[in-house]
Formats: sequence, structure tokens, C-alpha cells
Amino acid sequence: MIEAARADALRELQRDLPSKIMDWSAEGPDRIFDSNTLFEYIDGGAEVYRAYNLRQCLSRRYVTADGPAIILDVFDMGTSKDAFGVFTHDMNGAVVRLGQDARFQPGWLSFWKGRFFVSIYTEEETHESRNAVMALGNGVASLIKQRGSRPAILSKLPTRGLCSDTVRYLHHPVVLNYHYYLADKNLLGISNDTDVVLADYREDGEVARLLLIAYPDVKTAHEALERFLKYYLPDVDHNGFAPLENGKWAGYRTYKALAAVVLEADSRGFADQVLNRVFEKK
Amino acid sequence: MGEKTTGMTRRDFLRMGSAAMAGGCMGLPFLGDAVAGTAEKSRVVLIRDEDVFGFLGSLDQDVLEKMLDQGVMRLMRADTPAQAWRQLVKPGDVVGIKSNVWGPLCTPPGLEEAIVGRLVTAGVDPKNIAVDDRGVRDDPVFQKATALINVRPMRTHHWSGLGTLLKNYIMFVPAPWKYHGNACERLGAIWKAPHLNGKTRLNILVMLTPLFHGIGPHHYSQKHTWPYRGLIISRDPVAADATGARIIQAKRNQYFEKEMPISPRPLHIETADTRYGLGNSHPDRIQLIRMGWKEDALI
Repeated sequence: MIEAARADALRELQRDLPSKIMDWSAEGPDRIFDSNTLFEYIDGGAEVYRAYNLRQCLSRRYVTADGPAIILDVFDMGTSKDAFGVFTHDMNGAVVRLGQDARFQPGWLSFWKGRFFVSIYTEEETHESRNAVMALGNGVASLIKQRGSRPAILSKLPTRGLCSDTVRYLHHPVVLNYHYYLADKNLLGISNDTDVVLADYREDGEVARLLLIAYPDVKTAHEALERFLKYYLPDVDHNGFAPLENGKWAGYRTYKALAAVVLEADSRGFADQVLNRVFEKK
Repeated sequence: MGEKTTGMTRRDFLRMGSAAMAGGCMGLPFLGDAVAGTAEKSRVVLIRDEDVFGFLGSLDQDVLEKMLDQGVMRLMRADTPAQAWRQLVKPGDVVGIKSNVWGPLCTPPGLEEAIVGRLVTAGVDPKNIAVDDRGVRDDPVFQKATALINVRPMRTHHWSGLGTLLKNYIMFVPAPWKYHGNACERLGAIWKAPHLNGKTRLNILVMLTPLFHGIGPHHYSQKHTWPYRGLIISRDPVAADATGARIIQAKRNQYFEKEMPISPRPLHIETADTRYGLGNSHPDRIQLIRMGWKEDALI
């Protein structure tokens, strides 16, 4: 994992960012935001980057006479796992070979590499602006020399039936609630000290949503699960399953400091299968 | 976290409304069993005009003003715009028009001007009228406002699900980010603050070119706007927002050709009804008055 070894990592990258890309030229000075000032720049979405411990964000605007503007935002997340995490927040779009993972939706390219998450957005997609966005993305990715590791907890996810585009890495309850509203309170004790991954599984027409939480120690895991069961699954049976009010099933299992929770599955049997596979892997 | 927890859980919502929980706010059906915000049905005018955009796509001010006048007259059961606005404000009122300046999709200046004009016609001193968004806390007119007019475009919003009339008041608090938790579900609390409570006379949700899906950090894509050509007008902000939410949801489903719930679920519309009692969010408690162009109305 790349830790925050250099506080000026973003400034170093900034020095080498291109001032021109095809027919587009950088306009005005770059703007730099931190976690406190990001709200001035991003209305609403700033909360996501704060939840992943944003260090700094650099914004540069490229303009051309006859086309839409292109906005480059480089987010220094401090660690590769947070860069990866914020990337997983929105993985819609087509897979692109760029950085360490990338997606392209009409008008928007996003990727992560090392400690950086990069967003390149064009106000209107044209053939030329799309090419410029991709060229700029390749250029920025090549400037980021150091690659990073994905969070270790991903290796705990069973591969069978995994819907890879639904994998979300997080360690803040607001991000969990964004993807799957669980509760007002942080019942599972998710924090910067926990590693969490959320993913969907699909097999033989059945769907399940799995949450894995790696707690810092067994005691913390035990306390969190106790609270979760008390307030969310008080009706759990002796095998760890409970029927939900919408006809689905929830269940949980733990091993040492790792908790696996099926938040929702089409059947009890499928919930059981998914949980079994988690611990077969340990 | 302490032992005591009084918050809501997903299962609480499921108990209230069955499987609708996961389906977003489409009609907010689960609220049928919840405590109503108000006992009476809320009147909501949805007015649309096919000609509100001119030949080159620019906003036709005359058509826009006609939509505003006809909509407000119908809402207030008045024969003239002046008569309608005189029911909403008194000559002695100090009126803040809370608009929205968000760059890609702001409150149309022409609409702001039209509202100012109607207030003046109703007898309000122009000196006692201000239009503002991010500066409302420092604006002397807003600081002594006795009445508020709330006007903004509807859009999907990264953190609250939808940018709504309810959310438009977040600039009245010194630390908006404190209301971002759990998809901004506590926005209704802002409306209960002493300096705002009961002051809102009219809500206008601009549905001219709503944003039904956002991408990227800035959550905007022109491709995901469409010319709905409408205004939603109501005295009940919750009912107006819930109606707009149904349109956005229907558009998403149509565009993506599958059920595509608004994400995150705009909890703040529901809690404004059930927790803060600011209005009605359930279609059964909304009297929807449709005016004008009917094509592709979606609801």
C-alpha cells in the first residue's frame, strides 16, 4: 500500500500535467482544494471524497475555440486503497484499459492509479472531445509512476457468482448507506479502522448482497455484531439467518475479526451458500 | 456509539411499506401507512407549454410568464395574477426569493424577474424584495424577511438523491455539510428553524430541463437532461418535490429501459412528511392539477 509518504505528491504531478491536449489549452490557473474547501467546488459529491480521506484535489480546465471545455480533476487520496475505494463509488460505464482500473461513460472518464483518483469530464461529448479526454487520461496516467495495491479484503470475496462491477470498497458508514441504506446509526461500527467491501452475487437466477467487514480485532468485531444483531436482526435463528419483511433473507457469520453479512438474498439457501464460500476461502 | 439507538433502519422502512423500500421514491408508496404531514390534500399544479423554448432553444420569456401566471392563478383559485399574488403576500411583507445558482442548471433569471414583477404588482415595495442563493445569510432583505418564495430546478443530486425545493434551504444554515448525513434526510429540520418556520408562501419547482441522471464528481451531463417544459407550483414543498420525484423516476425508467431507482433514495422528501410534518409526499394525498401540454407528461 502506498502511504502518504509525500505531502507534495499532487504538486509534483501538477508540474508535469500537459498545458495542451490536441486543440485544447489549459485555461487560467489550476485550483487546489482540500477536504474542507472541496464543498466550494463540488456541490454535494464532496462528501464522498471526504469519506475516503481526500488530501487534495487539483482542478484544471481545458478550453478550445470550437468545442466544449474539458475538466480535469485529480484527487490525491493519500493511499491507493482510498483511491481504489473512491473509484468503486461509481463503476458504471465501459471498461477502459487505463491506469489501474478505468471506466468511460459518455462525457466522463474516471480511473485510479497509485494514490490518485482521476476524473476527466467534458461538458459535451463530441468525437473530438472524446478523443481529447482519452488522450488526456492516458497522459495523466503515464505521469503517475507508482502503482498501488488494491485493499486486501478484496481477496476474501468469493469469486463464484461475483458481479464484479458491484464491488465497493469503503470504510465510512455514509458510503455504505449510499449504496445500501442500512440504518441511521452506524450499527456495524464501520470506521477508518475497518475495511469493508460490498458486492452482489448472482447465480442460477438468484441474487444476494454480501458485506464483508475486517475489524481491527476480535473484541471490536464481537461488539459490533452484537449491536447489529440487537437492533437489526433480533429475529435471527440459531444458524444466523432471518427473513426480511420484503420476502428476502439476511444472515451473518464471523471468523475471528472478519464478519460476513448477507444483507439481502433471494433465498435462505443462497445466503447460506454465499456465506459458506467466504469462509471456505479463509 | 452508545447502546441506545433510536434511529430508523432499512427494516423499519420495510415494515412500513413492504417491498417498495428498495425501489426508490417512485410514488413513495410506503408512506401510505406513515403519519401524514398534513390532513388535507395538497394542491399541486403541473403546468407545461410546448412552446416555452424558442426556435433555437432559448427560453421564451412571454411563454414562461404565462405559465407562471396561469399556474399560480389556478393554484390560488384567482381570476388574475395580481389577485393570486395578493393572497400570497401583503404589501408590508419583506420577501426573499430563494433561487438556485448551480452553474449547469440554475433558476432561470427570467423566472426570477417575473416573480419580482408579480410581487411588486401585489404591492410589495421593490426595496423589500431580494433574490439570492448562496448569500441569503448575509442578505439584509433575507435577514428581515417575513415571506419567502422558493424557486429552483429539479435535478438528481449525488448526495441527497434529488436537488429539491426542500434542499434549496440548506444555504440558510451556516454549516450545510452537517445535513449531508444519510442522504440529507434531516433537511426538513432546516425548515423548522425559527427564522424560516412558516414563512414560505410559494414553491416553484422548475421542470423546464430537469437532470434525471448525473455522472462524475460534478454530477452533471447535458445528455441526461430533457425538455420537459414544465413548472410544478404548490404551497406544499413536500408535495411539489414528491411530484417532481415521480417524473424524474419515470424518466429514468424510460431512458434506461429498466427500473432505475433514484440513487441515493431521496429520504429527505419522506422525512419532511413523516418526521417534520412539512407536507404530503404520498400521491394519494396530493391533488395534482394538470395544465397545458400533455404529451410525454410521464405521470
